[in-house]
Amino acid sequence: MSGVANAIPTVLLVLGVGVELIAVLGVCVMRDVFDRLHYVGLAGFGALLVGVSILWAESFSLIGDKALLTGVLMVIMGPVLVHATARSLRTRARGDWADGIEEHREDGA
Amino acid sequence: MNRWEIAALVVIAAAVPCLAVCVLADISAALAAVEVSATLAVTALMLLSQGFHRQPFVDLAVVLALVSTVGSLTFARMMERDL
Repeated sequence: MSGVANAIPTVLLVLGVGVELIAVLGVCVMRDVFDRLHYVGLAGFGALLVGVSILWAESFSLIGDKALLTGVLMVIMGPVLVHATARSLRTRARGDWADGIEEHREDGA
Repeated sequence: MNRWEIAALVVIAAAVPCLAVCVLADISAALAAVEVSATLAVTALMLLSQGFHRQPFVDLAVVLALVSTVGSLTFARMMERDL
């Protein structure tokens, strides 16, 4: 039981670092910037897994609590960041972020 | 080296491709790479804090998580125009 309890933080750590490596790979190999932006949100989940790993190893200590807080912050702020960045890039490309949406709706209807 | 320090080393090394994207790709892709590399930096600070058992490092991670988000949002806002 103790061996399993000791292995869980290592598994969470490997998963967290692996998710972040996948995010880096996605940012590097994707062609379009909107494709790359998908991986910004994914990296936050890697930070959360690392935070949970530290929390499991340290229990609810000062480091464990703040590691969990940091991971939760990254997960919450990731989609906000992706949305704001995508909106800015659309505005940069078209002049207005809502430009073309009505035509797209009419085409789809 | 313990497992936390090894993981921190891997995460820091993973920031190098993001730096390459910042230098070589266009400015829009560079912003996405900066956002991912900020997450990597926060994770590395958490791992170093645990690996060295230094509590102040995890405070840096919390502050960096907030400040990097605000910085990235500022860059995104400025990129609407002619940055």
